[in-house]
Parts: sequence; C-alpha cells; structure tokens
Amino acid sequence: MSLFKLFLIFVKIGAVLLGGGYVILPIMNSEFVEKRSLISHDDMIDYFALSQSLPGIIAANISMFVGYKLRGKWGAITAMVGVTFVPFWCIVLLASVLGALTQNSYVQGALWGVGVSVIALIMLTVREMWQKSNKNIYFYTIFILTLATLLVFKLSPIQTILIFTIIGVLYKRFAEGGK
Amino acid sequence: MIYIHLFAEFFKIGLFSFGGGYATIPFLYHISQVYNWYSLDELTQMVAVASITPGPVGINVATYAGLKSAGILGSALATAAEMLPSLFLVIIVSKLLRKFSDNFYVKSIIETLKPISCALLTSVAIGLLIPDLKDIKALILLALLLVMSWKSKKDPLFYIFIAAVIGIIVVLLKI
Repeated sequence: MSLFKLFLIFVKIGAVLLGGGYVILPIMNSEFVEKRSLISHDDMIDYFALSQSLPGIIAANISMFVGYKLRGKWGAITAMVGVTFVPFWCIVLLASVLGALTQNSYVQGALWGVGVSVIALIMLTVREMWQKSNKNIYFYTIFILTLATLLVFKLSPIQTILIFTIIGVLYKRFAEGGK
Repeated sequence: MIYIHLFAEFFKIGLFSFGGGYATIPFLYHISQVYNWYSLDELTQMVAVASITPGPVGINVATYAGLKSAGILGSALATAAEMLPSLFLVIIVSKLLRKFSDNFYVKSIIETLKPISCALLTSVAIGLLIPDLKDIKALILLALLLVMSWKSKKDPLFYIFIAAVIGIIVVLLKI
C-alpha cells in the first residue's frame, strides 16, 4: 500500500463520514477489513475501543491507528491529513458563503432554530455518555462534585479535569488500595 | 501572537477532550469567554455547520473556530493542533497496546474522566440555556426536540434540519 493510495482511501472516508464519531467503525471496516483485508476484524475492534478511551477525536484516533499499523508514523500522518482533507474545504467554503447569507431574515430564522438544536444535541450527548457509563457511587460522586464546582467557580475545562482526575486517581490508589 | 494562542488552545483540546466530538464544546465555550475570537451565537452556529458537513464533528468545529479566529491559516493550524496529541498518543499506544489498557493508572484516569466529561458538558448546556430562558419559543422548540428523541437518539442532522425548518416557519408566520 503506497502512502498516496492510503491518502486517497482516507480522503474518501473523510468525505463520506457524516454524524458522530461512532459512524466511522462500519466505514473503516468496509475499507480495510472487507474490501482489502489489510487489517483483521479483531484489530479494528481493538483500535476502536482504544480510540474511545484515548483523549481527542475518536474518528481521528482510529484513522491514525490504522495508518500507523499499515505504514508507520508517515502512515499515521497521511491518515490524519487525508481524513480531514474534504471536511476542511467544506467548512472553509460554507463559512465564506454563510457570512453573506446571514443578512437574510429566513436564514436568521433557520440559524435561531439550529442554535436551539445544538443545546438539544449537547443534552442528548450527556444522556448518551451517562447511559454508556458504569454508574457506581464513584461515578456519581465525581459527577456531582465536578458539576457543583463548575456552577460555583469559574474554572477552565483543563483546570477542572486536572483537579478532579488527580483527586480521583489518588482516591482509587489509597482508599480503594488499587495498584 | 494569535497563532501561538490558537495552537496552544487547540492542542490542549486534543489532549484533554474525552468522549467524542461534542465533548470539545466545553473547551470552545471557554475560549469564547477568554478570547474575543467568536461569540456564543457564533459558537452554536459553528457546531451546527460542523455537524452537517462531512467529517468528524470535533475536527470540523476546530477548523471553523480557527477560521473565525485567524482566517484560513488559523483554521489549518487549529485543525492540526487538535490532532497532534492524538498522533503522539496513537504511536505510543500502538507500541504498548494491551499493556496500556491494563495499567492501573490508565484505567483509573479513564474511569474518572467519564463523570468529569458529563459534568463539563452539563455545565455548558446550562450556560447556553440561561440566555434562552426568556425566549419562550426557544424553550418550546427545545422541549419538542427532546421529546422527539425520548425513545432513541437520532442522527444529529435530523435535529438540526427540523429545527432549521421550524425556525424558517416562525419567521414566515411572524410568530
């Protein structure tokens, strides 16, 4: 597999990817497992699970795992550039058109509605994350402590993550005695 | 230098956001408050555009935010900066693979990041909702969208499309 071929496959994946990160697994499976047998199905499932547990964008992570597996670090970089290629130009084009359109009152109406739908989407994402998590006392405690702190103090997301991750890991290490 | 700040902010998003594209919103919300790169209204617009164009939402919204902040060079920089931490992590993890996910600290951090991400997103939802509390039409539309998803979450495109159509109808009928 040449880097250029790999690039083209990822350009295609980026172009057909619509919706959230979870849509990418079937697309990656079809391109790399079924059509080309370059990656085993089990490896792909592993990459997907790891991509979700790593920080960053899930779809970008899984693309880079596959790129790295096939062609090392240049493969990972190729995957990264390829998967963002079409989306990048779509955004740049749409953004330049959108600026001119916002004078129109119907476009303003549509954008008002869209703004509300984004709030709904965020709430639904919280619900989804909530449903997928293993909810024990630890989960509830960290959730409530974090939310209460955020409502009272103006902390940046990174400060919040650092403070509560350190508290959580220390608790697990010493109170629950994990190693 | 806006480019240095832009790079640093999006690098941090790539390193600390956890749980898919919408999990980057708390960071973008924070950026809109600290820097004057874009307003809150523009943020919701960016998220919507990022959801209806092809590609991962989290990357698209970085591209858009970069474009708003510092033009096309800014958008390339923000996109690359957000993916860079993943590149390093993927290379490290590929070498360790299973040893990585069995490590006590890795497991504890992941288990702790889940409730933190939920809380961060909840606080952003509250922050975005507060200005809308006076707008009764917005509250009705929000309730409608949430009721439609009661049984199962549909594709994000579905909600954005329905809400845009309702927004146009509201203007047409001068409600």
